[in-house]
Amino acid sequence: MEKPITDYDEVVRNCSCSYCGNNCDDITYLLKDKEIVGVRHACRIGASKIINDKDQRLLNPMVRNSEGILEETTWDIALDKTAELLYNSVRPVLYGWGETSVEAIKKGIKIAEITGSVIDNQSTICHGSSIQAFQNVGHPVMTLGEVKNRADVIIYVGTNPMDDHPRHLSRYTTFPEGFFRRNGRKDRTIITLDPKYTNTAKVSDEWIQFNMNEDYLLFNALRMLLKGEKLDEKEIAGVPIERLENLVETMKNAEYGALFFGLGVSQTLAKQKNVDVLIQLVEDLNNYSKWSMLPMRGFFNVSGFNIALTSETGYPYGVDFSRGYPRFMVGETTTIDLLNRREPDFFMAVSADPGVQFPGYTIQHLVNIPTIQIDTHWGPYTELSDIVLPSTRVGVETEGTAYRMDSIPLFMKKVIDKPENCHSDEWILTRLYERLEQLKQMEDE
Amino acid sequence: MKVILNTGTSVIQAFYEKKGSTLKDEYRQAAAVAFMDINDMKKLSLNPRDKIKIKSDWGEVVVFVDKSHDAPHEGMIFLPKGPWANIVISPETYCCNVPTYKGVTAEISKTDEDVLLVSELMNKVYGKYNLKAEQLSDRPVYKKMGE
Repeated sequence: MEKPITDYDEVVRNCSCSYCGNNCDDITYLLKDKEIVGVRHACRIGASKIINDKDQRLLNPMVRNSEGILEETTWDIALDKTAELLYNSVRPVLYGWGETSVEAIKKGIKIAEITGSVIDNQSTICHGSSIQAFQNVGHPVMTLGEVKNRADVIIYVGTNPMDDHPRHLSRYTTFPEGFFRRNGRKDRTIITLDPKYTNTAKVSDEWIQFNMNEDYLLFNALRMLLKGEKLDEKEIAGVPIERLENLVETMKNAEYGALFFGLGVSQTLAKQKNVDVLIQLVEDLNNYSKWSMLPMRGFFNVSGFNIALTSETGYPYGVDFSRGYPRFMVGETTTIDLLNRREPDFFMAVSADPGVQFPGYTIQHLVNIPTIQIDTHWGPYTELSDIVLPSTRVGVETEGTAYRMDSIPLFMKKVIDKPENCHSDEWILTRLYERLEQLKQMEDE
Repeated sequence: MKVILNTGTSVIQAFYEKKGSTLKDEYRQAAAVAFMDINDMKKLSLNPRDKIKIKSDWGEVVVFVDKSHDAPHEGMIFLPKGPWANIVISPETYCCNVPTYKGVTAEISKTDEDVLLVSELMNKVYGKYNLKAEQLSDRPVYKKMGE
């Protein structure tokens, strides 16, 4: 059992967490000698990210030598090499951006434009399909504050926030007292739909288990029942009809319903079609009561990238600048498809670890092309990186803006000093942009 | 035994991933673990922390097994996302940019082979730099400036 931390000399309140899309902004850091020694209010994952592993912290820029070992170098050499590789590539991909500030993302978009790159973020492998569905059928949106103050029925579909957004239930949806929900948990009904008896299912009032890859069937059946149609089957996707009828009844009679869905919906077989029909279900429910929905966005600024890129180019992710103007085509200009087709000849990951996130077959192409990493810690992707540029942590060592999962922008402040030779993503990308401009000028002359 | 493979975040795997200790044994112990229904484990005479080889159309990987706290889910195994899970999941996007992380069919069998650390795994599976065993460790291996 770990003992509470008592040995600290400074308390900094109202800091923002830089882990998931909850963007909890009530975190307290405990400092001793200008180092963070403790974290209050954060979940265990958020706290682990703030405390971090110092053995694997990237501290100096590195370039691979001829033996295949990373060797420390100066910023000038590392940035020159990166700029040269990027400038001379035909099909560069700039991936990541989910764990950095909107300010850095803006610089990234400028780089993509000047080099004719594809710029893409983590939504390409998580909620990209949800965004497609929003474009297909719309998005009955809400903020988390509304849920806290109003919602009496909360449904989680294919998501397990107790594991990947640990404070979602305690801060926004289930346990807090709200303006119209004075008794907190007692005033709310929580229902989880998941093939697995997840930790979220364990704290819910009801868990409905359905068969994997049968989401589309299940949601359509719910829509039919809502419209008063009779179903001939005894069970749908492994769920008895009576339970579905009861669920529809609960949903219809809600005063304010909130539905959250996760990668269990957007990553299974029918992908964006699952989300399509789920949105339509929520739309139909609005004939009876007030219902809205949100995807459970993973990284703390993955939604911010979609917003920033949409406002700059008109498209949410996977934007291709190779023709000099932005293009977006699902399955064509998106990272995984590009790598699966073995197209890119340059790959840069900014605050993301493709070694953790991409399928092995996709990663195999990174072996054959120059790979650049801009990140704070040594991870699986570092083992495949030719150039490593050490950056700083937003919300801890650098200030910046991030968008919460419900698209609320939040300012994240700087609390401690960065390691001496690390620089913020924004600094790195600005220097890289300058170098690329120089190369362009030289060629024009 | 034929199973359906499901991947996703587990709180303990995310804890070490976000902490940034991905090279260390603690991350391997958290992320290279297949969580199985107890009845499936009995069928293969597996005890917690035994090792299995998972084979799918896309590759094979050795991981530990443990009892799932989310059972019952016979015929389905849960593998936290990470470098080990990546090897066996399907890159097929069906032109929808998201690869198939969930619902991949796989074959599992008991094995005595070792579960590799991240640096060993990345070097063995992808072999980008073909490093020697002594150049791989549970700590970053690099040359300091001026050495």
